[in-house]
Amino acid sequence: MLNVKIRKTFGKQFVEGDSAMRENVEGAKDGFVLDVDFAAAPGVTILFGASGSGKTLTLKSVAGLARPEAGIISVGEEILFDSTRRVSLPIRERRVGYVFQHLALFPHLSALANVEFPLSDLPRRERRERALALLQNFRVEHASGRLPRAISGGEAQRVALARALASDPRMLLLDEPLSALDDAAKLDIIADLKKINRELRLPILYVTHSRDEALMLGERALIYERGRIVAAGEPSVVLGAPVKGSVARLAGVENIFEGRIARKSAETGMMTVELCGETGASCRVEIPLGRHVENERVTIAVRSGDVLLATEKPRGISARNVLAGRIHAIEERGDQTLVRVSSGVLWTASVTKQSVGELGLAAGKEVWIVFKTYSCRILDVD
Amino acid sequence: MREIDWFPLWLSLRVALVSTVIVVFAGVALAWLLARQRFFGREALDAIVTLPLVLPPTVLGYYLLVVLGRGGPAGRLFESLTGHQLVFTWQAAVVAASVGALPLVVKTSRAAIASVDCVYEDAARTLGHTEWQVFRRVTLPLASRGIVAAAMLAFARSLGDFGATLMVAGDIPGRTQTASIAIYDAAQSGHDRYAVTLVLILSALAFALMYATNRLSSAGTFNE
Repeated sequence: MLNVKIRKTFGKQFVEGDSAMRENVEGAKDGFVLDVDFAAAPGVTILFGASGSGKTLTLKSVAGLARPEAGIISVGEEILFDSTRRVSLPIRERRVGYVFQHLALFPHLSALANVEFPLSDLPRRERRERALALLQNFRVEHASGRLPRAISGGEAQRVALARALASDPRMLLLDEPLSALDDAAKLDIIADLKKINRELRLPILYVTHSRDEALMLGERALIYERGRIVAAGEPSVVLGAPVKGSVARLAGVENIFEGRIARKSAETGMMTVELCGETGASCRVEIPLGRHVENERVTIAVRSGDVLLATEKPRGISARNVLAGRIHAIEERGDQTLVRVSSGVLWTASVTKQSVGELGLAAGKEVWIVFKTYSCRILDVD
Repeated sequence: MREIDWFPLWLSLRVALVSTVIVVFAGVALAWLLARQRFFGREALDAIVTLPLVLPPTVLGYYLLVVLGRGGPAGRLFESLTGHQLVFTWQAAVVAASVGALPLVVKTSRAAIASVDCVYEDAARTLGHTEWQVFRRVTLPLASRGIVAAAMLAFARSLGDFGATLMVAGDIPGRTQTASIAIYDAAQSGHDRYAVTLVLILSALAFALMYATNRLSSAGTFNE
């Protein structure tokens, strides 16, 4: 069990003067306070949040690369850092397997020499055997003689993981390990990480701002916002049905609207919310019954992936929300296509490229947007 | 026409070689301190180390006479160890050349070390390495091109020191007369062919070293 309770303040000048910190707090114009308290059991704990929210700084504090002004960091019985007792273990004695955001493979050493690097106390032969075994484990032994600049992103990522594990760490700190990879390579590494997690059962702190990675890997997620943890729990719960507006935006919930409860019916188990559009236009949607009262102002969220588009008005359908609208714009976002549809307010639906072609979707076209009552969530306004 | 005396050239090469070795060790250590450590008076130390670059050679020579002379601390130490005085020996020429070359090594190596991304050093620390191991296995190899360039600059600079060397080592033919001093003597006394020979050899050496240094610096580093 890894326990972390830390606080660190940065003034503006300090942030500018400290090159090691600069990249992590780029969003912090007028100083920044990191103030977090969590425990990470063996398994993957996701640190989720926007850049500049303090995730990387947390990893650096655990590794000893940054020094909190107050707090305690411990693994099991051993204390790595304790401000009141003035304990701060040197970085080299903390035994953390740190995979840096840009990997930091030593550019002057081959993949094999990189993995051998932490094994320098062993005799040459044993060192080589262990490093080769690790590379084999990650299916990159063919790259062992190459320099980091001559191997692919996915291979480099696996070499970096092998190197981190070679040091026999008691925890793994992974800083956006998949951010530079394409989707196929990502899935490969996710499989590797799951294997590591099954076999070693180390506490793994995994920094990301990708919702998909968090859902695929995490057993627990901590949601970071401006240096604080604002939500914690199972990833599918905290990210799948976010209750906080800030989390919803981070988690890729595109449809967030303010409105007012127009009608509440215990009979049907639904509430009708009138959403206010920008030009005074409005839009009525049906949402599940909640504790809110009529006329109360609420914020509702619908994930773009839960919104269907139809070119004709659907009949005989269980979805309660069927709204007529007109396509405002179509945007490509990597693998998915976002269709903006105006219907009182501007809705976003994410569809496949194939659907765009088959349905002949284009700006100006009239369509119907369809979503279930239960796809609507009410957010806590924060 | 007298026989060409090669002694000054050999002496210069020997002085330059010894001084380069000393200056690379001292200079890289200072450069690491200046590039990687924060301490009170860091920039003042940099300024002091750089001073020989801009001071008149005679001023530098005078300071060295004070420190290396029979009354000075370094002079007394040398005399108690070896039994003879330091000034007006070829070792004094080494000291003069070293002090002149040190700023070049410190400036060049400091830039080379500063250009090594700290993340590699941090990675080495998380992989269980001590500060010395980090320096030897990560910082030094990644800064090596710059440091080799610094060593070549130091050699070129040491080869041609004149003013400070003349003041502390003198102009004793066959003992402390280096090539640059021999050129001065030869030009003064009308031995033009001798002067021209040494001038051309020193120029060719300096050109080759500068050319190689530039090639090294522009060849790119491991850090893109």
